[in-house]
Amino acid sequence: MRIRFETEGGIGDFPGSPARNKPTLIDTDDLPPREIEELDRLLMAAGFFDLPAVSEPPRGAADYFRYTISVTTPERSHIVTLTDPIEDPDVGALVDYLEEKSRE
Amino acid sequence: MISRIFSGMHPELITPWCNASPAPDRCLLELVWADLEGEGEAYVYQQMGHRHSIFCILPPYVLRRIARTGTEEQRQAALETLAVDTTFRTLRAIRLAAPVATTTPAMAVPSAEVVSEEAKQLQRTIFSCQNRRRLPGDVVRSEGGPATGDPAVDEAYDGLGATYNFYWEVLRRNSIDDQGMPLNGHVHYGRRYNNAFWDGQRMVFGDGDGVLTNRFTISVDIMGHELTHAVTEKEAQLIYYAQSGALNESVSDVYGSLVKQYTRGKEAAEDADWLIGEGLFTEEVNGVALRSMKEPGTAFEGDEQPGHMRDYVNTMEDDGGVHINSGIPNKAFYLAASETGGYAGEKAGPIWYATLRDPRLKPNASFVQFARLTVVNAEILFPGGREERIVRNAWRQVGINV
Repeated sequence: MRIRFETEGGIGDFPGSPARNKPTLIDTDDLPPREIEELDRLLMAAGFFDLPAVSEPPRGAADYFRYTISVTTPERSHIVTLTDPIEDPDVGALVDYLEEKSRE
Repeated sequence: MISRIFSGMHPELITPWCNASPAPDRCLLELVWADLEGEGEAYVYQQMGHRHSIFCILPPYVLRRIARTGTEEQRQAALETLAVDTTFRTLRAIRLAAPVATTTPAMAVPSAEVVSEEAKQLQRTIFSCQNRRRLPGDVVRSEGGPATGDPAVDEAYDGLGATYNFYWEVLRRNSIDDQGMPLNGHVHYGRRYNNAFWDGQRMVFGDGDGVLTNRFTISVDIMGHELTHAVTEKEAQLIYYAQSGALNESVSDVYGSLVKQYTRGKEAAEDADWLIGEGLFTEEVNGVALRSMKEPGTAFEGDEQPGHMRDYVNTMEDDGGVHINSGIPNKAFYLAASETGGYAGEKAGPIWYATLRDPRLKPNASFVQFARLTVVNAEILFPGGREERIVRNAWRQVGINV
């Protein structure tokens, strides 16, 4: 399974902004089994493959992060774009995990 | 040629306005409407031949009705009058806030509005998200409550108050919706969250990562910036994309700066630093702030904000570069404020505010369209030409000719 995680937007383009980072690329071939299991759990809990492709920010919102998550397995692939605030805690947990990976 | 439309209960009410106009002998009135669809008799006149008329401020509902049902010329005149009416309401509010402000016959319009201290409604609530991505979080400080000792909570509380007080005292605006809307701030959002945002209803602040950034409540202009997004949404709905989005961002930087300067004793434009987010970065960053309005592109190493249209960035990122190209209108405001002098909330701030509330400002406004309206409103708010020239020149210096 391959995952691509990218952040853009925010209050500005500044040092430390995740929007300045290159996209995070994860290949489960490179992960220990326990982490693969955790990643699978996060994707399942978030219902990732059933999430809408694009979620628009609330009306009038500004300075939010926009996250693009792409997941590809041998069977299927799906791309999701969503913005803060993330209301679903399980989707939020997935984004938190991907953000931590982007800091490694 | 029709210039303006007047309304009154009797023709005699029109005469004083004509006499006050620059050329009363050319104040020709033609009755065009003598009834308001059963809501009472009124005489509606159109004034011929004036270029700088004194306006009889109609109730907006009258003007809107004319705008809907009048002839093309009447509709156009009503729309123009509505736009000026908004400006005059702004002007009246500003005059009420500063009684010693200059007044000329052109500003001597009647006001049915009374803005009183009793109308002031500051109602703050600060929530902690406990470093999780959940909103609203837990209430940690309410209006009138004591300081908590948590810097993020107390800074958010103070920043909301400063922003409210600025809008009330300087622009006579009662909270972000002008109707006393409660102000909610949500701090400690997420883990090492490097951002602050407005979600359409509330301000949300992260703690920063502690490596390159501090907490996002550290700078009062960031709070003024976020709350101003609500004002913009209420008034102009500037679409958050490309030039209209960059204007949206710029307006937030403008009033964020004015809030900061307000907290510094209404700091004069020439003394202000015009930095957004000063103090946000740690010592690890080679930079002083998120943005510089005075010199876009100099706030930190790698800052790519342009300060002139020749350097406009065409991009699909950042919603079409809203945080990048905002440098251009930011610079224009800085130039206008510096040239007019004194605290920017006295002239440049009200001019931009009148423009934001101008019915002619469309949600998809371009830089040129916005600039044009600032010039128009400069002359309306401050007749005589000086401020109009300054504003026009400010835009010219960033490559926008109006």
